[in-house]
Amino acid sequence: MNMFIAQTKAESIRIIRSPFFMLFSILMPLGFYFLFASLNGSDMKVQSTTYAPFAMISMTAFSLIGTAMSQFGIRLSYERRDGWVRLLKLTPLTPSTWIGSKMVAHMIVHLLTIIVIFGAAGLVYSIDLTVIQWIVCGGWLWVGSLPFLAMGSLLGTMKNADAVIAIANILQMGLAILGGLWMPLHTLPTWMQNIGEWLPSYRYAHGAWNMLNGSGPAFLDVIILLVVGVVFMVLSGYILNRREAL
Amino acid sequence: MTYAIEVKDLVKQFGDFQAVDHIDMKFETGKITALLGPNGAGKTTTISMILGLLKPTSGTIQVLGQPVGTKALRERVGAMMQDVKAPDGLRVDEVLQLFRSYYKKPLSLTQLLDISGLHGEAKRRAASLSGGQRRRLAFAQCLAGDPEMILLDEPTVGMDIEARGRFWDTIRAMAARGRTIILTTHDLEEADAVADYITMIAKGRVVAEGTPAALKAQTALRTISFHVQTIVTEAELLSLPGVEKVEITGARIRLHVQDTDRILAELLKTSWGVSDIDVSSAKLGDAFRILTQ
Repeated sequence: MNMFIAQTKAESIRIIRSPFFMLFSILMPLGFYFLFASLNGSDMKVQSTTYAPFAMISMTAFSLIGTAMSQFGIRLSYERRDGWVRLLKLTPLTPSTWIGSKMVAHMIVHLLTIIVIFGAAGLVYSIDLTVIQWIVCGGWLWVGSLPFLAMGSLLGTMKNADAVIAIANILQMGLAILGGLWMPLHTLPTWMQNIGEWLPSYRYAHGAWNMLNGSGPAFLDVIILLVVGVVFMVLSGYILNRREAL
Repeated sequence: MTYAIEVKDLVKQFGDFQAVDHIDMKFETGKITALLGPNGAGKTTTISMILGLLKPTSGTIQVLGQPVGTKALRERVGAMMQDVKAPDGLRVDEVLQLFRSYYKKPLSLTQLLDISGLHGEAKRRAASLSGGQRRRLAFAQCLAGDPEMILLDEPTVGMDIEARGRFWDTIRAMAARGRTIILTTHDLEEADAVADYITMIAKGRVVAEGTPAALKAQTALRTISFHVQTIVTEAELLSLPGVEKVEITGARIRLHVQDTDRILAELLKTSWGVSDIDVSSAKLGDAFRILTQ
């Protein structure tokens, strides 16, 4: 247990101290949030809500998807390449404790990220949400980041760490743009909307957007996120086990 | 005599390449044993199998009386591998505390900083250390659990002379406290100076083993050099008993021989006017070159 706490603490510190995390998961989402909100007007109508809360959800989703892909996926791949994984295998730390503490560390950091972005948005704009709405929106984004950790873990199984960076960035940008996180989905060309609807990134934000007007996530939101989470987890677990057997 | 590691008929095949070719070896408890061999001899492959990082193609390995790769064993064995980068984002003291948390009875942070000589760098990021400092940190990491057995893969690569000295002092002190130490090296002088026992491997096989002194006596030639007054041909020199090789530089002759005492008596009987005789014992390097060729 001591081991688990120490490992979780170390992994959390490593994420938070990473300049990439600071830049891409905190500063960039916040910067774009305030830029877009001031360009579009924070009270511009979007769907059944206004731009300030709408984009707050989008940018938090964008931030967490990025953290899961880069800090989890890229880091796993690098740690394997740099011999760190092999080194840990020589200690009494078990692989399940290691991966488990990494995931817990991510969930801690994700929660902090949600608090920071929600807090910044709430301080600057008068966002009209009940306490319950703040909590369920945050909670949905928090739990909903798990499938993206699963995607990250599949990226982490790749041996070429440099290729992982490129793929993670393309994937993250593609998911963000096509998922309507940069610009609302209905403003995109129809063919992009047709793809976007099925992406986990859209479903992730969509669930929380629905909560802004008092309704719950759509059935498809839950299903797509669940399927993505399970498929990627099974896939990366399978690859890692096969590699172990060699 | 007890053995910390017993390796029987170990084979590791990578495709068509036989990296380890039916190796048998034993490492004595409480001793410093060097696994010596040229690059590509199979040292790291062997160590990796002993540590349970690689599965042998065939053969058995017993470490501290147990099969490899168990958690109980990892509690008792410390290992330092080559080319491990420091984790980014953590300070030296944080890395050491993290490793301490893995073990039931860890050494204290102060002890680990003493061993690595990194007191001054404790608050620095591990990733910003120099190559030598990083090696010392890796060494402290492998000692975090106060292991009974320590495996070191090319431990002193990248260390400066002072760090190397302190490193060997630590190793000797640990052996004196009953710890078993196994290290791989391609540096002969290092193996000669530090190890109680040397196992030489080449092309995946054990080619010789013994104490450094025994290995030198057993395999290496001694050299005897002297001045002569007359002209002596190479054929004449080679006809002397036990002469393996002859080097002539003007009036100075150097013979590589098995038995210097016998050749000395023979030389004094000749009418060549032998003077200024110099006998030198073999270096481990000569033995090494001969055995691994």
